[in-house]
Amino acid sequence: MSSATEAVDYVVLTIGAFLAAAGLAALVAAWRRTAGERVRVDSQAPLEIPIPVGTPNDESSSRRMDALLEALPAGVIIVAPDGRVTAVNASAAAMFGIAAERAIGRALIESVRSYELDRRVAAALADGVEESSELTFIAATERRLHVSTRAISRGDGKREALVIAVDRTRMVELETMRRDFVSNVSHELRSPLTAIKIMTETLQDGADPTAAKEFLENIARETDRMIALVEDLLDLARLESGRLDLRFDSVDLSALIRDAVSSQSTRASKLGIRLEAVTPSNGAAIAGDRDMLTQVVVNLLDNALRNTPSGGAVTARVSSTDSAVAVDVEDTGIGIASDALPHVFERFYVVDRSRAKSTGGTGLGLAIVKHIVEAHGGSVEAQSELGRGSLFRCRFGAVARR
Amino acid sequence: MGRENFHRILNETQQDVLRMGSLVEEAINRAVDALGRSDVALADDILRFDDIIDDLNVRIETNCLNLLALQQPMASDLRTIAAMLDIVIDLERIGDHACDIAQITKSLAEEPPLKPLIDIPRMAAKAREMLRESLDAFANHDAAIAHLVPQKDDEVDRLYRAVFKELIEFMARDPKAISRGSNLILVALYLERIADHATNICERVVYMVEGVPKKLKRSVVEINRAVAHSDTLLNPS
Repeated sequence: MSSATEAVDYVVLTIGAFLAAAGLAALVAAWRRTAGERVRVDSQAPLEIPIPVGTPNDESSSRRMDALLEALPAGVIIVAPDGRVTAVNASAAAMFGIAAERAIGRALIESVRSYELDRRVAAALADGVEESSELTFIAATERRLHVSTRAISRGDGKREALVIAVDRTRMVELETMRRDFVSNVSHELRSPLTAIKIMTETLQDGADPTAAKEFLENIARETDRMIALVEDLLDLARLESGRLDLRFDSVDLSALIRDAVSSQSTRASKLGIRLEAVTPSNGAAIAGDRDMLTQVVVNLLDNALRNTPSGGAVTARVSSTDSAVAVDVEDTGIGIASDALPHVFERFYVVDRSRAKSTGGTGLGLAIVKHIVEAHGGSVEAQSELGRGSLFRCRFGAVARR
Repeated sequence: MGRENFHRILNETQQDVLRMGSLVEEAINRAVDALGRSDVALADDILRFDDIIDDLNVRIETNCLNLLALQQPMASDLRTIAAMLDIVIDLERIGDHACDIAQITKSLAEEPPLKPLIDIPRMAAKAREMLRESLDAFANHDAAIAHLVPQKDDEVDRLYRAVFKELIEFMARDPKAISRGSNLILVALYLERIADHATNICERVVYMVEGVPKKLKRSVVEINRAVAHSDTLLNPS
C-alpha cells in the first residue's frame, strides 16, 4: 500500500473511530442500564420463580456489545467508580501493551503506567470531567495516542469512566517522513541550483575560456544530478500510481548484472571500493522488463556504494535453481541498525539524514526497487549487521528452461 | 482505622508509588528529548513536573508513617511499607536527576551543539527500561523480574564509559568544547545514577516479596581509571 493511501486510511480510521466512540459512550450506558435492571429483577425475584434474567433481546444486545467492543479499532477501557478496571478491549490491550485479564479488577495505574491518563480517569470519576487530546505513552515502544475520557453517570449517582484511545503513532511517523522528505528533496534541488546560478552569473560577467569551459562542465554535471532526482521522483510516482507499462521479455539476469556492475565500476574505483559480479555461467533467465530490472540492480549497487567506506567491497551475485532466481547485492559497509531495517524500503525513509545529505541519497532508491520487484511477482528483503555490512536479496520466479 | 481501611490505604499508597514512578519515567524521557532538540520550553516543563513529584512523595511518606504508627503491620505488609519508604527516595532522586538534565539543556541551548547525541539517548533508553521494569516488578510483586533488571546495568555502565572517553577526547582536541563537553559528561553520569536507582528499587522489591534483604549488584563505574585515561590524553608525554 502506498503511503498516500495509507495516510487516507488512517484519517478514515480516525474519523471512524471517533464516530464509533461517540456512539459507544451512549451504548455502554444503555448496556449498563440493562445489566443494572437485570440485577435488580434478580434480587427482588422470589426464590420459587425461575430466574427471568432479562429477555433474549437483552442478552443478544449484550453479546453484540461485547463483540463490538472487541472488534473496535479504537482502544476502549472502562473503569468502575471505585477505580478498578472492568473492561479492556483487544485494541486497548495492544496499544498499552497490557494483558486484559491481568488489568481487569485492578487499579488502572497498576497496568497502564501513565500519570496523565490516571489523572484524567480520576477526574472523570470524581467530577465528570471529560477530556480529549494527544497523549504520548511509553511502554516498550513510544506511542502517540489520541485519548478521550468520558464520564458515564450510573443510576446510583456514581460515575464510570470510559477511555477511548486512537493510535496515531503511524500517522505521526508518516507526517515526519513526509516533512523530512520534502526538506531533503528541497535541499537536493537547491544545492545544484545554487551552484548553477553562481556559475552562470560568473559566465555572464565574462570569464576566461579555460574557466568558462570548466564552469560549463560543472553546470552540465549539476543539471544531470537534478534530472536524476526528478526522474527518481517521477518513477516512483508512476510506480505507486500503478500505471506501470512493463514490457515483458526473457531477461538473462547474469548478463544484466555484469552490465550494471561494469557501468558502476569507474565510480567504484574512484571511491576505492572493490566491486564485482558473481554470476553462473549457464545464465539465469526470468520474465521481466529489462529496463526496470536494470534500474533495480543499479539502485541496489548505488545504495551499496553510498554506504560503504573506501577500502570496502560490494558484490552482486546471481544464483538460480530450477524454479527461482535470486539476485544478491552485498556490501561491507556501515550496516543498518535492526530498528531501522524494517523501514528501509519505505518511501522517504532515510536511516541517517546527515549522511544521506553528504552522499546524495533521496530515500527513494530502495522504494523504487521494492515496487519494481513486486511488479514482477518477486520479493525483496534486507539483512544487515551494524558496522559489518548489508545484504539485499531479490527473488524472482525463473523462466522454465527449454 | 479498621483493617479494611488499612488495606485500602495501603493499596492507594502503592498506586501512588506507581503514579510517582510514571511521572519520573516521563520526566527522564522528556529531559533527554529536550536535550537532543535543545528545547528550552520542554526543559522548563520538567522543572514544573518536579513539584507534583514532590507532593506525591510527601503524601506517600505520610501515609506509610501513619500506617506504621497506627496499625503496627506485620510480615509482608510491613515489608511493603518499608520498601515503599525506600523506593520513593530512589524515585525522588531520579526525578532530581531529570531536573538536573533539564537545567543543563537550558544552559547548553545558548551554544551550538557539540555533536549529535548518539550514546546518551541509548543510555537514557536503557536506564528508562530498567526503571520501567523495576516498577513492573513492584506493581506485580514479582521478584523474578526484580532479579533480572540489574543485569542491564552493565550495558549502561559500558555506554557511560564510552561517552566519557569520547567527550574527554573531544575536549582534549578543542578547549572551546570543554564547557559543553563537561556538561554532557554530567548528563551521562546522571543517567548512570538513574540506572543504579532502578537497581535499588529492584532490591527493595526482592526484599518485599522474599523477605530477605539482598544486594543485587552495585555498578562500580571506574571513574578513576577513566580520569587516568584522560590524563594520558591531555599529557601525552
